[in-house]
Order: sequence, then C-alpha cells, then structure tokens
Amino acid sequence: MTILGPILLVGFLVGAIWLGQQEEKDLEILVLDDTYVLSNTLMQSEKYHLTSSQDEGIENIDDGKTFLKERDKYDIFLYLPANIVSGNASVAKLFYKDAPSSNVQRHLENIIDGSIERLRIKELDISNEDYARLKNKVQLHTIDVISNEEKNVGMRAGVGFIFGLMIYMFIFMYGIQVMKGVIEEKSNRIVEVIVSSVKPFELMMGKIIGIMFVGLTQFVIWVMLSLALTTVLSLTVFPDMMNPENVAQTNQIEQVAVGLTVEPVNSDITETSKEFQDLIFNQIPWGLMIGLFIFYFIGGYLLYGSLMAAVGAAVDSETDTQQFILPITAPLIFGYIVAAMAIDNPNSLAVEWCSQIPFTSPIVMLVRVSMGAEGLGWAIVLSMSLLIATFIGTTWVAGRIYRTGILMYGKKASYKEMFKWLRHK
Amino acid sequence: MTNETPIFEAKNIVKEYSGHRALDSVSIKVPKQSIFGLLGPNGAGKTSLIRIINQITAPDSGEILINGKPLKREHISQIGYLPEERGLYKKMKIGEQAVYLARLKGMPKKEAKQELMLWFKKFEIDTWWNKTVDELSKGMAQKIQFITTVVHRPKLLILDEPFSGFDPINTNLVKSEILKLRDEGATIILSTHNMESVEEICDNIALINNSKKILGGKVSEIKKQFSEDKYIIEFKGTGVAFANAVWGGWEMINNEQIGEQHASATIKLTGGTKLNDFLKGIINAVEILSVQKVIPSMNEIFIRCVEQSLKMEESAVTNENTIQNG
Repeated sequence: MTILGPILLVGFLVGAIWLGQQEEKDLEILVLDDTYVLSNTLMQSEKYHLTSSQDEGIENIDDGKTFLKERDKYDIFLYLPANIVSGNASVAKLFYKDAPSSNVQRHLENIIDGSIERLRIKELDISNEDYARLKNKVQLHTIDVISNEEKNVGMRAGVGFIFGLMIYMFIFMYGIQVMKGVIEEKSNRIVEVIVSSVKPFELMMGKIIGIMFVGLTQFVIWVMLSLALTTVLSLTVFPDMMNPENVAQTNQIEQVAVGLTVEPVNSDITETSKEFQDLIFNQIPWGLMIGLFIFYFIGGYLLYGSLMAAVGAAVDSETDTQQFILPITAPLIFGYIVAAMAIDNPNSLAVEWCSQIPFTSPIVMLVRVSMGAEGLGWAIVLSMSLLIATFIGTTWVAGRIYRTGILMYGKKASYKEMFKWLRHK
Repeated sequence: MTNETPIFEAKNIVKEYSGHRALDSVSIKVPKQSIFGLLGPNGAGKTSLIRIINQITAPDSGEILINGKPLKREHISQIGYLPEERGLYKKMKIGEQAVYLARLKGMPKKEAKQELMLWFKKFEIDTWWNKTVDELSKGMAQKIQFITTVVHRPKLLILDEPFSGFDPINTNLVKSEILKLRDEGATIILSTHNMESVEEICDNIALINNSKKILGGKVSEIKKQFSEDKYIIEFKGTGVAFANAVWGGWEMINNEQIGEQHASATIKLTGGTKLNDFLKGIINAVEILSVQKVIPSMNEIFIRCVEQSLKMEESAVTNENTIQNG
C-alpha cells in the first residue's frame, strides 16, 4: 500500500485528465436559423463546425430533427427561433443523439450570445471601441491592513484546508489502526504474555507511537512519490498539463466567442499564474505552517489514538466497537465540517472556538493560520497548550481503561464500568 | 522442607475486584529447584495469583518475595510465564515474534536467535522459522509458546495448564523438558487440572478453592495425611473363609474372586485395629499372597477437599441464616 498508494493516486489523476481530453472531440453542428440574420455572424471554431441548414436543403425544425436522427453526418442540430433576437432571455433549442457536455452547451451559448451582441451593436450604431469600453471586469485584490500585503484569501484558506484534511485523514486511518492492533493483541491473548514483561501503559504508548511513525513514514513516501510521479508525467506524457494557459482556457473561450477581445488575452493568464506563484512563494507562511502542521498532526493523533486504544481494550471484538467509536469520531467529523466552512468564512465564531477546542483544533487551526498568522500569536499558543494538556489527559484516562480492559474477557464494558476502572489502584 | 530461603514466597495475599474477593489471605512458599503445583477448580483464584506474581496486577495487601526480597520490575527477566489462554501474532513470522518476545525479557537479539534455533531443533520445528502462526495447527503453536516462555532461562517458571492442547507424545516431551529445566536449576510453578501430571512431577502443592488456600505441602506428605487404613489383600482361598476369619475391627470394602482358589479383598481397618493383628487372624484361614496399602490419588484428594470446603461453606451460610432468622 505504501508504494501502490501514490501510483494509484497519480494514475487516477492522469486517467481523469486523459478522459477529460478525450471528451473534447470535434462536433458537426447543423444550424436552422429562423431569424435569417444570426447564422452568418456565428463564429466558427476549430472544434465546432457549423453548417447552415440551407446547405442541406432543410426548411423546418421537423426536417432538421429527422435529418439528425437518420443521417450520421451531424452530432447536433441547433434551432434558433425567430424571437431569439428580441428579448433578453431568449431560448434556442439543441437536439442531440449523444448528450453534449456542459462545456459544449456553454460554448454554444457563448457563440449565440456573441452573435446577438454583435447584431445589437450594429443596430445601436456603437463602435467596437465604445463596446470594449462597456465591457468591464473588476477584480478585487484583498490586502491585509496589518501586514499591508496583498493576499488571496480564498486560495490561502484552501491551502490551509488541505493541511487540515491531511491531518483528519491521518487521525482517522491510523487511529482506527491503533484500535485494531489493541483488539488483535487482546483477542489472541498475546497481551497477557507481553504485559508480564512491560507495563500496560508502556505497551499502549509503544503501540500508539509505533503506528504514528509507520503513518509518518507512509505519509512522507506518499507525498514524495506523488510529487515525483506528477513531475515526471507532466514533463513527459502530459507536457502541457501543468501549463497555466490550459487552466485559463475556459475563460479564454468566452472571450474568443464574443470576438471582440480588445486586450491581449495573455495578460489575464499571466495575471492568474503570477497570482498563483505569489500565493505559493510569498503569501503562505510555509515555515510556520509546516511547523504547526507537524505539531497538530502529532498532537491530534496522540489525542485520538489514545482514545482509540482505550476503545480497543474495552471490547472483545471489532463488532462491539460501534457504540464507543461514534462519540470519538463525531467531534473529528465536526472539525472537518468547520474547517470546510472556514474556507468561506475564516473569521466566524465557530472557527475561532473550534481552533481552540483540542478535539477540533488540529483540523481547524491550520485553516485559520493559512489566512495569516499576524495577531494570532496568543490564539496559537493557547490552542497548542490546550491540545498538549488534553492529550496528556486522554492518555492518562486511556492508560487506566487499557490496563484493566485488556485483561477482561467475555463481557462488553459499559461506560459506567469504564469509569470505575479509572479509579482502580 | 529445608530451612533455605524459598525462591518464591507469597504472604497473605488479598486481591479484590469490585466487591468480589478473588484471593483471601493466600500464602505459599516455593522451595528452590522444585516443581510446585498450584491446584484448584475453575475460578478459584489461581489466575489472579499468577497475574500478581507476574506483576500484571498488584495485590491489595500482602507481600511477594523473590529469594527473600520484595518482588520488583527487575525480576521480570527472571520469570517466564505461559498463560492458560495461548496466543501469538497470527500474521507475524514465528521466528521474528519469538525473538521479539525473548527481547522483551531482556535477551540480546543475537543470543535470542541462537538459543531459539537450539530450541526449535530440539522440538523439531526448525523449518517453521519463516512461517506464520496462521499456517500452524494449535499444537504446533503451543510448542512455539512453550519455547518463548523458557528461552531466556528464567529462574522461576510459571506454567498455566502447560499440557492442554498437546497430544500424548508432545505432553511427554514437554514434561521431560520441565523436569530437565528443574534439574538445571529452575523452579516451576505449575497450575493445572491434570492430577496425573501433578503426581508425576510436582514436589509441593497448594490447593486453592473459593479464593482461599485449603491445602498445602509436600505431595508425599499430603498423600500420607489423606491415606486411611485401607489395604488390598490378595490371597489363596475363598472369600467366605477370609470374611469369617476375624470378627470385628475391620470392614470389607470390596471383594473380588479372581480364580477358583484365588481372590482379592479391599478392607478398611476400624477401631484402631493393627494390620499385624488383622493378618494374624486371617493367616490361618487363607494363604496371603500380597498386602498393599491403598494410597489416595491426588484426584481423590482434590475432589474430597473441594467438596469438604464446599460443605463447610454451605453450613456456614446456613448458620448465618439461622442467626439472622433467630
């Protein structure tokens, strides 16, 4: 799984991109234009070949439909009714044999809109220059007033969320593994031999920390292999996959369709990629983020891992774990939801609270930090201290439950009973 | 018993689990280089005592001494423990986990490997080193577990039902290994229901019932203590002649005619009758072939003691009830 994981991951990614490219095949489109004015101004493009219905001798919509149905020549039959040029919310009809993608639909809508726009420009007697002045596009650049830096809030929160997501997955996967390990040792009774050599607490901590290092190793291998594979693939098989021009292509299409691009298209793309580079290299406080990531990664895992170990010790088999697992995973899932919410609204009260509560802070805090650590100093220190105090507490509780639980066979412990175990000498 | 300090001594051990008293002031002494049988019915408290010896749990009160010194964590490497419920990591290679378990007991890796190989050869399982427990039968896994218990040459071995799950051949193998270990200097505490093996190999025993020790001491002395004036007499002659030879002071327990002029009788002497006097009486009536004292088996002693203590408790309960009612 260690090696296979990243290969599968990159494989799926490449496969998805490949499939996405496959879909964009050339389309033959038959157009029946009842307005008689639009079809001459419809823009042709490399992938969309428009043919006027007159060329095929088709006069009405039914003939067009039959022609599309019975002949293989066209993929799509586009019908533009006469009233399409009059209103603001006009309707055209698209007949198909194989359902067109949303990309195709959007593209055709743009082509038609472009034609109508051009028609109206002519009607209103507006020059192209005047029209270009009408078309305006505002971009909001967000600037932090304290550091006086320009920041892309949304993208930064996204980066923080990815960190939080990784911690969430790590806690889940390896926490469950701790529980399974404890159940295995308990159910095959080897635990009795081992606790005659080491203290139960040592055994439990050994298990938790051992699995943590397995996880970290696996994690580092995953990240490195994934990076290496994507780099190799993007250099060889898909040389233009990572090119920002491709990323910006969708925007480009819209402008081309209008056909009235005044500014050079490239300025927008370079803007996007520059912004992205700025985000990656200048805006994210990487040193702090990675430091905190490792801290919350380990702290969160120790907190949940110890609780999972206690659950494993309290039951006889995995089927009995349900009632104990739910209260443990609920705050974890809640933290994930709050972290997802934080992308849109990083300063909400929920985010502030959850970045302090130790059961959710490992996931939520990084989203907050990614938005800028300025002014967060005390909050980070408090959150970290709370996490440390709590995992020491949960480890102590877990140690007590574990010590008694691993030697109890044949009965499922209740919460009441586990509470009693806490007070055993 | 000699006056030498026993290798193991438990003094007035009390252990309670949420209201239930598992051990009630139990004391035992195990002399050096002996095999000690820890006997008792299921749920008597044997496992609780064994867990305390292994420092898995601590007693509520009482003291455990090893060579006269209080039991501490550094004694772990001197103790070997084979629990009743056996278990090994199912997916881990046998050799690897045996080395791991030996290292837990403080053996260096290299030495552990060498010693284990010797043991594996002795048990003719050296080809299993790289197999997993999943691939083995139950008896095979038992062998591995026995080896991991003794590989670090513990001075004190605690074996909980060591023979269960073994076929007769392997039972003998394990038995002879246990005796060999004792001869080499180890002391063994053996918890078992198998009374035959107790008679065969145990030097001393303690019988625990209902969390109390109800019997303890040397096997030979206990047997003597429990033997009654019962004899099996084989003779030439008829049962009738035998029965009529002596009047009073004995009772016939069993009478068996083996051949036409050949019989055997099991008798019990009562009222202080001496065996010699009894024999004098019958020697004129029949020709005595052999006389043998009946010695009770450990099995009989075990059952008799447990039943007796059960009766005593019942009467204690009845007394209590009577007092309450009165």
